[in-house]
Amino acid sequence: MQSDGSPPVIELKGFSHTYLEGTPRASEAVSDISLRIARGERVGIVGATESGKSTVVDSFAHLLRLGPGQVFYEGEDVAAPGYDKRRLRREIGIVFQQPDSQIIEDVVGADVAFGPTAAGLSAAETRERVEESLNTLGLPYSDYRLRYIHALSGGQRRRVAIAGVLAMHTPVLVLDEPMAGLDPRGRKELLELLIKLQQERELTLVVCSASLADASLLCDRFIVLDRGTVVMDAPVREVLHEADRLAELDITLPEPVVGAREMRKLFPDFPTDLLTEDELESELLERLGTA
Amino acid sequence: MLELQRNVIFGQFVETGSFIHRMDARVKIAATFVLIVATFFINDFRGFAVVLPLLVVIGVVSKIPIGYVLRGSRFFLAFLVFILTFQVLFYPGDVPESSYLWRWGILSVSTVGLHTAGIIALRVILLYYVTTMLMLTTSLVDLTNGLELIFGPLQRLRVPVNELVLVFVIAIKFVPIFIEEMERLARAQTARGVPFDEGGAITRARRIGRLLVPIFISGFARADTLTIAMNTRSYRGGRYRTKFRQMRASPSDWLVLALIVVWMVLAWMV
Repeated sequence: MQSDGSPPVIELKGFSHTYLEGTPRASEAVSDISLRIARGERVGIVGATESGKSTVVDSFAHLLRLGPGQVFYEGEDVAAPGYDKRRLRREIGIVFQQPDSQIIEDVVGADVAFGPTAAGLSAAETRERVEESLNTLGLPYSDYRLRYIHALSGGQRRRVAIAGVLAMHTPVLVLDEPMAGLDPRGRKELLELLIKLQQERELTLVVCSASLADASLLCDRFIVLDRGTVVMDAPVREVLHEADRLAELDITLPEPVVGAREMRKLFPDFPTDLLTEDELESELLERLGTA
Repeated sequence: MLELQRNVIFGQFVETGSFIHRMDARVKIAATFVLIVATFFINDFRGFAVVLPLLVVIGVVSKIPIGYVLRGSRFFLAFLVFILTFQVLFYPGDVPESSYLWRWGILSVSTVGLHTAGIIALRVILLYYVTTMLMLTTSLVDLTNGLELIFGPLQRLRVPVNELVLVFVIAIKFVPIFIEEMERLARAQTARGVPFDEGGAITRARRIGRLLVPIFISGFARADTLTIAMNTRSYRGGRYRTKFRQMRASPSDWLVLALIVVWMVLAWMV
């Protein structure tokens, strides 16, 4: 995975977390999770609800008590005494599942400016970053800068939340269920934007989802979680190959894979590791031609 | 990291299947009421010393870990200490000269002040303990039904009992939800560079202020959703509602209530 011998950007070693540990309401979210994410990689963390995706993501930026196990950022243990947590959080940008929870200010421009200002950037630099981030997300700076966030629609608030994180220019971008609540056009736009950003800024991208539909076009590798443990960790096609198992784990499959599973009723050897409808079509034509 | 849910247990329900959990909710509410009233009658340390063993018995029988209750009361106790410090320092009443331990301008510490503050502290702690225990051991459904049945007769006097009980129960139910929400907000804002897990007590308190506006906004949104949900399910006050499960108090429940009454009378008389 790592060719030049440098440590992975993010690494979890035997990480476990129990919410409200030591109380009668304790619930174990994840147990003994080990994973590595290399620089520039595009990784999807997938699993049904309560599989532990959000807990894993929160551990990256040390937003939880790090109990048993360790979390490393660029080879350094983030729970080590004296570790600079502020710096860590400036390096890992997280877009949470509910965009409203990470909005700090009332007005769009001020909120997007929050991160850069807190990081100590000058007013001019901050303004530039805000303008760039808002424009990138299709919220024209001049038009949206002074709007009240709570008066925006759900999809627009999500964009503001993403803009707020983008403006920090973090080398690692983590998105928890970024497509939830977006309409098909919004999803397509966000997908294209993320692919473009990832390439331009050489981002390390981590996307959490219960659905492989959009993630399969965005990621190179999937880490599949089930009830708090890693059950698969492989390149996208290899994971899609196990379509039946994924369906058992309650994970939404991409449409071409759903089609391929139907085709299996006719052609038992029909492959399921398909990313696009074109691939599905050519596989089908091939088989119809020989039949 | 900010783990508010550990430090505030008010309004939570923890099922342990103990005898107290299985008791009839009406009897539990009545017992709580007896204890609260007794709190105001008992006005010396000896009386409270008699009450203490009863509280221990309640704690043990409920099977709720005492450490959990104590940790969950940290904020409450800190607040109490804060308030009582003022009570002592600005003690108003007539204080005999001999009781002053320290004096500076309008500030003073007197044995009379300390004594009063001690009694108030015990009263408030007792009040807090019994209501918290009631909520820890009684599900909201039971609590609602119990209150509705107890105050049911007032309906004849056109008191909207069911509505009032509903408002009361929803208010309690929202406390843990808000606490969870605050925790989530704090986590998300920490990720964006507001370090909730650093700094002294005052800096932390000031940062919590930042969460108030979003909490209010989401609170109104939640109340709105709840109203719509109730309307769409045709909720129309309690008078038209029937109960699927009838409550029944067993003889042992009444025995417990009687025991508590006797115990409190004793505590008052000593």
